[in-house]
Amino acid sequence: MTLRSFLSTAVLSAGALFMFSGCSPKSDQPTVGVCFETLQTEYWAESFDALRTELESHGFAVIEAISDGDANRQLSQIKNFLVRGVDGIIVAPKDRQSIVPAIKAANDAGVPIVCYNRPPAEGDHQTVTVVADNFALARDTVAYLVEQARQKGGKYRAAILIGDLGDENAVNRREGFNAALAGTEDFIEVVARIPTEWNQEKARAGLVNALQTHPDINFIFTSSDFLLPSISSALQAQNKWHPHGHADHVLLGGLDGDATAYQLILEGYMDATGVQDLYFEAEQSVQALLKLQREEPVEARILDPGFVIHRDNHEEMAGRTWGARVFARNQAQ
Amino acid sequence: MTAPPPALSLQGICKSFGKVQVLHDVDLTLPLGQTLGLVGENGAGKSTLLNILGGNLPINAGTIALGGLDYAPTGPADAERAGVAFIHQELNLFENLSIAENFFLTRFPHRGPRVWGVIDRHETRERTREFLQRVGLAHDPDTVVGELSSGEKQLVEIAKALSVSARVILFDEPTTSLTRHEAARLFDLIAELQAQGQAMIYISHDLDDVLKICDEIAVLRDGHLVRQGARDEWDADLLVQAMVGRKIESLFPSRDLTARSEVVLEVEGLTAPGRFEGVNLSVQAGEIVGMFGLVGAGRSEVLRGIFGLDETTTGRVRVGEGLVAHRTPRRMMERGVALLTEDRKRDGLFAISSVSRNFGIANLGAYARNRLGWISRERQDRAVTRLRDAVQLDSSVRENQMIRTLSGGNQQKVIIGRWLVRNPQLLLLDEPTRGIDVGAKQKIYQLIGEQAAAGSGVLVVSSEIEELIGLCDRIVAMRSGRVVAEYPTRPFDREEILRAAIQG
Amino acid sequence: MVRASLSRALLSDYFILGLAGVYLLGMAPAVPGLLSPLNLANLAEIALPLMVLAMGQTLVLMTGGIDLSTTSNVALCSVIGGMIMSGADEVLAGSALAMPVGVLAMLATGALVGLINGLSVARGGIPAFMVTLIGMLLLSGLAVRLTRSLPISDLPDAFVAISGTAGVALAVVLPVLVVGHLVLSRTVAGAWLQSVGQNAAAARVVGIPVERTVMLAYVACGVCSALAAILLTARLESASPVLGQRMLLDIVAASIIGGTSLFGGRGTIRGAAFGAILVCVVTNSLDLVGLTFAVVMLSKGAVILAAAALDAFRSRLLAKAEGSA
Repeated sequence: MTLRSFLSTAVLSAGALFMFSGCSPKSDQPTVGVCFETLQTEYWAESFDALRTELESHGFAVIEAISDGDANRQLSQIKNFLVRGVDGIIVAPKDRQSIVPAIKAANDAGVPIVCYNRPPAEGDHQTVTVVADNFALARDTVAYLVEQARQKGGKYRAAILIGDLGDENAVNRREGFNAALAGTEDFIEVVARIPTEWNQEKARAGLVNALQTHPDINFIFTSSDFLLPSISSALQAQNKWHPHGHADHVLLGGLDGDATAYQLILEGYMDATGVQDLYFEAEQSVQALLKLQREEPVEARILDPGFVIHRDNHEEMAGRTWGARVFARNQAQ
Repeated sequence: MTAPPPALSLQGICKSFGKVQVLHDVDLTLPLGQTLGLVGENGAGKSTLLNILGGNLPINAGTIALGGLDYAPTGPADAERAGVAFIHQELNLFENLSIAENFFLTRFPHRGPRVWGVIDRHETRERTREFLQRVGLAHDPDTVVGELSSGEKQLVEIAKALSVSARVILFDEPTTSLTRHEAARLFDLIAELQAQGQAMIYISHDLDDVLKICDEIAVLRDGHLVRQGARDEWDADLLVQAMVGRKIESLFPSRDLTARSEVVLEVEGLTAPGRFEGVNLSVQAGEIVGMFGLVGAGRSEVLRGIFGLDETTTGRVRVGEGLVAHRTPRRMMERGVALLTEDRKRDGLFAISSVSRNFGIANLGAYARNRLGWISRERQDRAVTRLRDAVQLDSSVRENQMIRTLSGGNQQKVIIGRWLVRNPQLLLLDEPTRGIDVGAKQKIYQLIGEQAAAGSGVLVVSSEIEELIGLCDRIVAMRSGRVVAEYPTRPFDREEILRAAIQG
Repeated sequence: MVRASLSRALLSDYFILGLAGVYLLGMAPAVPGLLSPLNLANLAEIALPLMVLAMGQTLVLMTGGIDLSTTSNVALCSVIGGMIMSGADEVLAGSALAMPVGVLAMLATGALVGLINGLSVARGGIPAFMVTLIGMLLLSGLAVRLTRSLPISDLPDAFVAISGTAGVALAVVLPVLVVGHLVLSRTVAGAWLQSVGQNAAAARVVGIPVERTVMLAYVACGVCSALAAILLTARLESASPVLGQRMLLDIVAASIIGGTSLFGGRGTIRGAAFGAILVCVVTNSLDLVGLTFAVVMLSKGAVILAAAALDAFRSRLLAKAEGSA
């Protein structure tokens, strides 16, 4: 008993003493915490690097946190950022709902927080979201394909690979696709709407099924370029993988602008893809953060219009295409 | 020509565990080719001594000489190499391996280098067979040990000891888990080994066995050697007197045999197919009834069936006035019945719980202060104090001690106490004195006598005919699941009862 | 004398709590903000649910079983609560009844899952590992199916306040832990549970209702899962079908560090709660240092291994201390 109570008293009193010394200290250099779900795909890896470069150029030190797809962890990581006394937070939300308490916590602590590339759910919170105009980008990309179809002539059977419908971006991309095809029913018929839930295997399986039911599909739009490997695999299996110029070339459009898409456009298998201007989004995110810090007015939602890259303009647009830069890097290795 | 040195010579052996000294200046001599019996109560130091000889424990003072040479083993392997084989009470074989594998586990005959060479299975099997023959076993060396009976496993252990050409074989309570038949085979083997001049030390609680097979007997009490003498100098009474330090008038309580008429237990036609059939029994208040039979006769099964632990298909059980339908332990307990099971390790002890908890576990409701079940520590402590006096628990035992650290006798006292506190009108006891030294046995018999005198009925199952003859008012014999004979009055004819149990 | 009180201190449940405290103090200089009020609040948010889950798991571990389905149970309770309480639900949307009905439904779900587990193990005789492993898959699948893998949000403010408002969670969890500890250590039911875990055959002989006791342990574990679900859902402000999925190892580690034996028959709620605190303190400190996920996992594993080894050492000490020569 004696020893036990001695121990607990010691712990408690020492704890009280440390309490004061342990209060959130600010380091000399301003820091920004960047919290992503993953760095496994090129887009996120490239985004992170772009953000880091931009932040460091403004004199910030960057703290990184990866939540590996766990929303709970993301919340904890952001709360930990606050404990560590960061001056700003940039987060790519795992899901739009569970990011809300994290944003609220940052608001309570008076730390500016920016949502990168994915918007949070509506609610009583303050944040700036930088997100691509997925609707417009999808629409414009598909419009290019429609133009190609019109020029080439003939009838078209179209398929769309739809992303995870819990993701607002995926919904908007689907709407963009629909909008672009409005009024083209006379020569373009949509025969397959394939749900992929952003999963490679589902995408492949779904497309294979669609091709078996409708072997004459010759117009495909994918809501994200990361599904391209599945698409090429499915098309090759049906002997429908031919570059532009070939009589049986399947019109192919996508969105994101990754290295694979860039390469396929160079090689002619792909016709167009909507590029998220990653560098623009990163720059805008940091700008928004700075404005929030200085308490200057800033719009709640900043749209990245992006641009469409295709056969005819890829040389001039390569510079701004993040996928092109990754591609060049890979070639150099 | 000087006489050959003794097989073992111990001089001035002292051993302490921390502050507690368990062996005081013990001198023992095992002459060449002789068998020395070692007896004493639990805690007298026999096992400690054996463990020292077997290399499991170091000594604090004294010298040991093995065949005239200094013997100070650093561990069991060392002891084995020196030629001392230890046949443990708890069998030490690997159940899932074959006899041959158990034999040669550390020293397989092989072809090629020691660690990487190929095991010579043929050689292994042949050599195993040799030694199995020496102990009278005809099993295939590839038989998995788990399939053997306790007795056969023991013989395998002995064969293993022989295979390493032991100079001294140490037996620690070898007959505890043997049937009479297997024990007889063991004694035959021991006689053979004696004829071959093998030196042995034999520890047992069974004084009759010790007197039969040993050339010399040494008695230990409280870590001291009382006396080592030739077999002729001892008899059972003298042994007990030396072990306990006083004359034991009688092992068994004197009984007032005025019969009471109320019937406490009545069993009619109880049947559990495959275990027992058509059992009829009755026990009166104040009566002690014994159930004798060989292992497998179905006695324990009958007790468990009466108590509701195991299912029975037909038959009726009446306790006191009422019939008990759908018997469960809870229901039987409510009717005032208690069951002491055969194997306290298996279903009697809550090993890592305290002595207190083990005392009170059958009666917690009585200590509960309110309907929420909150246990009143004071009530429980008071009850425990009363109980430990009632069962005469050793004063050195602390109530918060883990029960597994107690000696067998003390453990059994606690378990009996747990039932006595409920004042049962019927006590069902299954081998109540198994694995217990003489002093504790006497106390338990006393307790049983007191319970009967107070009006409880007692039904005792035992494999020791002498125990039942000394204790009971009436004896019932079972064989192959049936009650085959009843002996309602004293004096009992030992031979007759044995015959009934064995032949019918 | 010092040796005796040292070994008593070592063996007491409070040893783990002391260890956590010493660890916090030791790490404080290296980890800025570790002892700040903000971080301590964050710690409490994570630790309270884990303490409750460790309590439930301890009760089951003491019967010699294990509940692998507890995290999936948390997810299912979360989802069911979310479906009832969410603003999107037609029936109770916006009504004052939404929250109490939702909370009750969550507790009922947890208890029901526990009952099914308990029946399968106690009456069905199926090994606990199997039953709860299957449960883990089924419940998780059910939760995902019910929500089509989307989280549910728009929960009533009153519900969210359980986690947001200081002290509410503590006021809920602390009494539960205290009651749990007292029941296990001081009541007849607790004595029965300990006995069943140590030696079920002997427990049956002394008239303890073995099956009923085992079942109750699983039901209690289920209710603990529901309680943890309430806390975690309120914290996240949304019901998620994958809530708590990575917590299982932490839960078992907390129980073991707290002195619960995997073989049954030994353990205290107090120990499990302190074990949970230690696990959370270690995880939190490593996260704050800013190590990558992989390094955090490695370090955490090493610390928990050390604590488990210490517990083994403690057991040997206990055996020696209680044994007589």
